[in-house]
Amino acid sequence: MSDFLSTYGFLIATMLQASLLGLSLYFPLQAGQLSLASPGFYALGGYAAAILLTNPAFGGLRDALGNGMFPLTWLAGALIGGLMGVVVGVPALRLRGIYLALATIAFVEILRVVSLNLTVTGGAVGIFGIPQTFGFQDRWQYIFLFGPLLALTLLFARQLERSRVGRALRALREDELAADAMGVPPTQYKVLAFVIGAVLAGLVGAMSAPFLNTWNAKQGTFDSSITILAAVLIGGSRNIWGPVVGGALLAAIPEVLRFLADWRLVLNGLVLVVASLYLPQGIVGALERLGRPRPPQRPAPQGPAAAAKVNP
Amino acid sequence: MELSALLQNLLNGLAIGSVYAIFALGYTLVFSILGIINFAHGAVFTLGAYFTYTLVVGQFENNGLFKGVNLFPGGSPLSGHPVTFALATLVGAALAGLVAVLIERVAFRPMRSRGADPLLALVSSLGVALVIVNLIQLLVGAEIYNFPSDAYGEVRPALSFTLGGNVVIIRTVQVVIFAVSLVMLAVLGFVIGRTKIGKALRAVAENPTTASLLGISVDRFIVITFFLSGFVGGLAGTLVGTAFGVAGPYFGVAYGLKGLAVIVLGGLGSIPGAVLGGLVIGLAEAFVPADYSAYKDAVAFALLFIILLVRPQGLLGRSAIQKV
Repeated sequence: MSDFLSTYGFLIATMLQASLLGLSLYFPLQAGQLSLASPGFYALGGYAAAILLTNPAFGGLRDALGNGMFPLTWLAGALIGGLMGVVVGVPALRLRGIYLALATIAFVEILRVVSLNLTVTGGAVGIFGIPQTFGFQDRWQYIFLFGPLLALTLLFARQLERSRVGRALRALREDELAADAMGVPPTQYKVLAFVIGAVLAGLVGAMSAPFLNTWNAKQGTFDSSITILAAVLIGGSRNIWGPVVGGALLAAIPEVLRFLADWRLVLNGLVLVVASLYLPQGIVGALERLGRPRPPQRPAPQGPAAAAKVNP
Repeated sequence: MELSALLQNLLNGLAIGSVYAIFALGYTLVFSILGIINFAHGAVFTLGAYFTYTLVVGQFENNGLFKGVNLFPGGSPLSGHPVTFALATLVGAALAGLVAVLIERVAFRPMRSRGADPLLALVSSLGVALVIVNLIQLLVGAEIYNFPSDAYGEVRPALSFTLGGNVVIIRTVQVVIFAVSLVMLAVLGFVIGRTKIGKALRAVAENPTTASLLGISVDRFIVITFFLSGFVGGLAGTLVGTAFGVAGPYFGVAYGLKGLAVIVLGGLGSIPGAVLGGLVIGLAEAFVPADYSAYKDAVAFALLFIILLVRPQGLLGRSAIQKV
């Protein structure tokens, strides 16, 4: 068992972490909002934890709290994610479809440039030597953090889906105007879904800073936005298991393809192309469809009007 | 700000802004026809620069699988003279255009025929971008390649004069960039606004179904659009590469993102909008004070964020009619 964990444990922890990030993007998608802001909140949460755990200014606090410091960083990451989620979400969620996606890309890029230039974030070098959570000896032990968090998140997502709020979110995704007419206030619910995703991303960031041991501006980039979005779409964007499967899969592919050495990144791109062409509903969606045949989809409208109203 | 500095910034801003403009035109052409954003456009930009570099130099001595290969043992026939360099630039851009056509074939057409979610087109075009960027890295390595410095008589500035005790320098390459961009915009404006092809393109953009009923081959015009898009993208890549050196396979990624800011600022799908957006962002970047130059890359995105909140349809865009 310990052999297995020392060989594959890190990979499993990485897969769990990627699944969590996939879910952070899934929540706004549930309300029909394509947000690419997750890596921004993830980066913020990670910086919050990294600063709390290494900055001399918090030395006294660290001495006083001991291991209690770690849950505090999680709280800080989640709070910062949530706060920024409100700050960014309230104005940005007036936008739809591709416009919202672009606004969230802009948010991530601005954040990246700012963190690259501040002293407190360590500039281009970033923050390094972040102490391990609870003094973990091996990286695979992070399974004990990411695993339960993933289980809790899935439980929460399932309960949310079954609740009144979840139904309101789904109604918004299917048809915002109709939902509005039925008395579902779009803005409140959209912001709520966005903030839930932001809290989760911030929390995962705070847990990931010690996991990766170092934190820098590379953690929140356009590339990571795309990786997460690709994970969700490849896994399936309409079922809570989609982001989990997609995240785990995309995190595993580079490891599994390691023998291909330099060609694996090229192959990574090909996987994205092939999956988006042949698995339009994602892997989970395709599996679901195997179970119950559905009528063919109505062709989507073409032209700018179609993109102005992207309904993932 | 002193007058000389003001003028220098203005000139620098116009030069880089015009490159942004023609690069962004590639996005906006595709968007106006298909209503999707081709995220591989930044990779096409990179490819344009590499194609031209291959034509004028023909060897990549630093790294990658092509290391040591020399296409022109006696030196490239296209190097050493501004006219042949211009020719190489055009051929490079045309090759980039062909790649864009190929991208449409692989990543967009199969989806279009199925009427898939536009989001998936975004992911597949990103996949293509990943493939292109990493292939470049495999083949020629991640190093910076510089165009021969005599490409545009770079040694000598086109114009330099003293103003209030300070020297203002206009680099030859800046003049070339600005001129090429103006010509390119004029040509595209003419093609789209005045020719039969342009009329058909606009018809396809307005309503593909009606256009096809009127006997316009929609697929053919989509191919033309992608070629034009790749051509201007590749051209912009070579122009920027000439000015700053081709900085590796990821050269176009930052421009790809900035191009998005440009077209949204100007108005998605609007050609004059792309030009205006490019110039605004180029000028805004040029006027970032030296003390804050590290934040220069955030300027485009700050403008993007603000315009989205204030006027989502962009400076010159029509407001999209919301379905009721």
